[in-house]
Amino acid sequence: MNSNLLPRFPLRRPLLVLIPAVAAFISACATGNPQDTFDTAGPVAEDQANLFKFIFWIAIVVFVIVEGGIIWITLRYRRRSDDEMPKQTHGNTKLELTWTFIPALIIIAIAIPTIRSIWDLAEPPSGEPVMTVEAVGHQWWFEFRYPEEEIVTANELRVPVGKNVIVKLQSQDVIHSFWVPKLFGKVDMIPTRNNELWFRADEAGEFFGQCAEFCGIAHALMRFRVIAQPEAEYDAWVAGMRRAPEPPAAASAEARGQTAFAANCSSCHSTDSYRPGAYERELVTQDGRWTGWLANIEGARIVSAPNLTNFGIRTTFAAGIRDLDRATLVEWIDDPGSIKPGTRMEAHAAVYQGGDGTANLTSAQVSDIADYLLSLVPGEAAPDDSANGSGDDSGGDPVELGQATFAANCTACHRTDSERLVGPGLAGVADRAGSRVSGLGVDEYIAQSIKEPNVYIVDGFPPGMSSFAHLSDAEINGLIAYLKTLN
Amino acid sequence: MTTTTLTIPRIFDRPRSASGIWSWIGTVDHKRIGTLYGITAFLWFLVGGIEALLIRTQLATADSTLIDPDTFNQLFTMHGTTMVFLVVMPLSASFFNWFVPLQIGARDVAFPRLNALSFWLFLFGGLLLNVGWFTGDSPSGGWFGYAPNSGITFNTGSGMTFWAIGLSVLGVASIAAGLNFVVTIFNMRAPGMTMFKLPVFTWMTLITSILLVLAIPVIGVALIQIGSDRLYGTNFYNSLGGGDPVLWQHMFWLFGHPEVYILILPAMGIVSEIIPTFSRKPLFGYPFVIFSGISIAFLGWFVWSHHMFTVGLGPAATSAFAISTMAIAIPTGVKILNWMATMVRGSIQINTPMLFAISFIAMFTIGGLSGVMHAAAPSDAQQQDTYFVVAHFHYVLFGGSLMGIFSGIYYWWPKMTGWMLNDKIGIVMWFFTLLGFNLQFAPLHWLGLDGMPRRIFTYSSDQGWESLNAIASVGGYIIALAILIFLFNIWYSRRNKVMAGNDPWNARTLEWSIPSPPPHFNFAEIPQVQYRDDFWYQKYPEQHEEGHVHAIAPSGAQDDDDMMFDPETGAAPSGGAEDGHHDDHGGHGIHLPDMSYYPIMLAAGITLGMGGLMAGNWVIVLGGVIGMWGLIGWSLEPVNDPAPDVEH
Repeated sequence: MNSNLLPRFPLRRPLLVLIPAVAAFISACATGNPQDTFDTAGPVAEDQANLFKFIFWIAIVVFVIVEGGIIWITLRYRRRSDDEMPKQTHGNTKLELTWTFIPALIIIAIAIPTIRSIWDLAEPPSGEPVMTVEAVGHQWWFEFRYPEEEIVTANELRVPVGKNVIVKLQSQDVIHSFWVPKLFGKVDMIPTRNNELWFRADEAGEFFGQCAEFCGIAHALMRFRVIAQPEAEYDAWVAGMRRAPEPPAAASAEARGQTAFAANCSSCHSTDSYRPGAYERELVTQDGRWTGWLANIEGARIVSAPNLTNFGIRTTFAAGIRDLDRATLVEWIDDPGSIKPGTRMEAHAAVYQGGDGTANLTSAQVSDIADYLLSLVPGEAAPDDSANGSGDDSGGDPVELGQATFAANCTACHRTDSERLVGPGLAGVADRAGSRVSGLGVDEYIAQSIKEPNVYIVDGFPPGMSSFAHLSDAEINGLIAYLKTLN
Repeated sequence: MTTTTLTIPRIFDRPRSASGIWSWIGTVDHKRIGTLYGITAFLWFLVGGIEALLIRTQLATADSTLIDPDTFNQLFTMHGTTMVFLVVMPLSASFFNWFVPLQIGARDVAFPRLNALSFWLFLFGGLLLNVGWFTGDSPSGGWFGYAPNSGITFNTGSGMTFWAIGLSVLGVASIAAGLNFVVTIFNMRAPGMTMFKLPVFTWMTLITSILLVLAIPVIGVALIQIGSDRLYGTNFYNSLGGGDPVLWQHMFWLFGHPEVYILILPAMGIVSEIIPTFSRKPLFGYPFVIFSGISIAFLGWFVWSHHMFTVGLGPAATSAFAISTMAIAIPTGVKILNWMATMVRGSIQINTPMLFAISFIAMFTIGGLSGVMHAAAPSDAQQQDTYFVVAHFHYVLFGGSLMGIFSGIYYWWPKMTGWMLNDKIGIVMWFFTLLGFNLQFAPLHWLGLDGMPRRIFTYSSDQGWESLNAIASVGGYIIALAILIFLFNIWYSRRNKVMAGNDPWNARTLEWSIPSPPPHFNFAEIPQVQYRDDFWYQKYPEQHEEGHVHAIAPSGAQDDDDMMFDPETGAAPSGGAEDGHHDDHGGHGIHLPDMSYYPIMLAAGITLGMGGLMAGNWVIVLGGVIGMWGLIGWSLEPVNDPAPDVEH
């Protein structure tokens, strides 16, 4: 019925199949793009790529035979006259058994290296030095914890070149997947599970990572970097993360920014993971932010948020989707939702409520906060010197000292009015404290609550607060004096 | 047929009109139901296609802000859900309905009213799924609905709840349809048509139907659980309350992988009819093809965790699922080689259905090869949840299932309508389909290997994925063009009708032995089957190896008991298909069940009852009343009501 079309098709058909195939094949060369799975930089990704290539070449052979066969058969046996009548052959058992066994042999050839690779990659090679980090998925950013170094940071995982790294994977909310294509294939971060993976970066560099499991509105914008550095540079980074930044000069933009940050941002963002004991406290606090959010999602004004300790040395922010520069940071602080739609920061933090979603701050304040954050780079001071904040606790007004201590240590969880954050609002605490526990006066109760907070828990709050016994007596007395002024 | 004395009062008369809207609403004719499935599914195909085009438009450029992320998530969720549940499955069901009875020489399916119920549930369930486009709150948790992201805490609004209840309704439709075809194929074959004389399409329908009956309950249970997590705060999968989100993945994929074969086996059956017809040769290695289909369906139950290689099941489980997954390549490869061997030494007519069928083999092979790559768990850790997977399953579901379905549409169109689709326009459509398809999906392999994850609403220019995405989007538009050409072809061919006659392709199976379109009763006489491809050897008796085929004398109408069945009890034709003793010819005419509006009532009742979970308790009550009415009316309704104007 279409015999007039026949002569043209023998030429068209193979082209139609071949052109896309060839075009696709040509583009198969490694691209060098930042998430290229062939441009590997470590043994795990390399092993995975090699397995792929092995199967790929077998597949190419099968592809050429089958596709070539289809085209050849179609051309060779196309109908040349309408009254052709081929022999009605029904099959050939020998032939069919043969082509049942040949695929089986191919499958065995593929299965052997696959199984070997599965077991090889299950754990890092024994006997080699290994370090452990923890990665926690949050909607929509990655938290990184170094339990041995007591560092908490976000969205940039720094590792030494050449060292095997075990990453323990957790999630606080939904399922995410942890993936750095040039270093390792993905493993899911699942609440209720403790997955882990290992990798090693054999060359220094910045490697792109991205969440690979659909996790909600900003899934596409949940990225991160692995920064592999030579051991010495990595050690210097670790040491730096254990040191406080230089305090801003009085009346500088950074100082104003610090005040504005303390008032508007510090409920969710910690900046002090260099302090002794701060690591455990951050874990508890982060958990408290999360449970508080869950308990009252509609009204929550606190959410889990990246730790910003020594933020100024980061190369990217907003979960790896922006390079860290002042202009972008200002844009972000003013209206994070314009850069990352759906971000919890804009949806919940008090400073973004009540208006058009942008920060209820003057542009000068936004700019000051940006300056302050960029100034957060490791200072020269040895860690112990900064353990007690400014360290200047002799003389001066105890209420003023208490206010500063409160701003630096307590605002993540406590407000100074009666509204609940993670912990109770502290307005009028002096009136309540005296009667809370018989035998303890106001001052004793508050001091006790700071040093051993979980002995007496206020009803309805989780026992989440960690001890602040490391504060100096002057600071604790200052806090007591300050808290008693709150009504 | 005796009329029952127990009846309930009717509000409306039993529908009897042979034309007009009521003839469709009340129909229990498998051919009409097949047409309803086909038209409805094709409309959903257009909806799912528009969703795909919007996705491709958004992704054509880096950092695109055309579509906001929440809308994008709704689009890909509904694209996947629509194409799987509202397009490929019901398009297959359309062919099951139309051609299984015709291929086995039956006058209808075993349970005609249950068949109608399946269709109406499919229609209403699809509407429930799509309610969100009108409320602005479509499902956005992915067609896979992974907990806890699909839970009420992280996915507020009504979308995912409608998703769960809509799919539950569709599940009821699928189970009912699956049962119907299993019973039909086992019990209603024409005399002499033993299982190994069944046309391959009917065989694949049988296997698919068994899979439906076994797999849909798994997702049905899981949907009820995840739905009640959302509606009633239960903790089946809600990790915040101690539920196990990984269990959802096991349940979903324990259904989901057999579902893959539910989607592809019918298309394999279709091309197994078309390739022999247009090669003028029997299918090469019929038993191997059948057993391959059976082993694919069987092995399909043991591979689900290859969707979960990154979940952290440990190396032992991963190894086991890697091996079982690879094993499926063996029967699949056998099928491909058998189709090719069918064409070898044949007389291959190159026309639209054959080109689509050949393209099915070619494209499905690519999807099969990338499937083997996924079975290698270590390298799959790089590919999982990337565009490589998107490329893989589109090569299987579009390059495979849809190519097969289009092949089937062109092949069986003349049988369904009586007139031909224009072959030249068809070949143009095929050309743009194959071109657009490969432009659209081949680049996605490389995007995936280049690290592009799935389900992202945008990407940055520094990730380097722009040019391949742009090519893919152009491919998407070319596919859309091909679909427009298809619609044009229907319009053009309808205006310039070329009538088909009974057997326009010189085909091999029984449906081509009767007029196009078939009469209401299909077969004036139930055929006596002697051979596989019986119709072919009736036409060419000298070609059969066993020698002559004896032309079958017209036998007149069969005895009522031999060809009729009782839809109330599902009783098979007495004597069964294999016994071959059908000599006693009764004198009275062909009996077919009368139309009934109870199926649509029961379907409406079920749908309202489920939808009422969202709309309010009074809707549940309303649904209950309508549903019970439908059910009771149905169970008391005789097959035929005596009426003065019986059509036949």
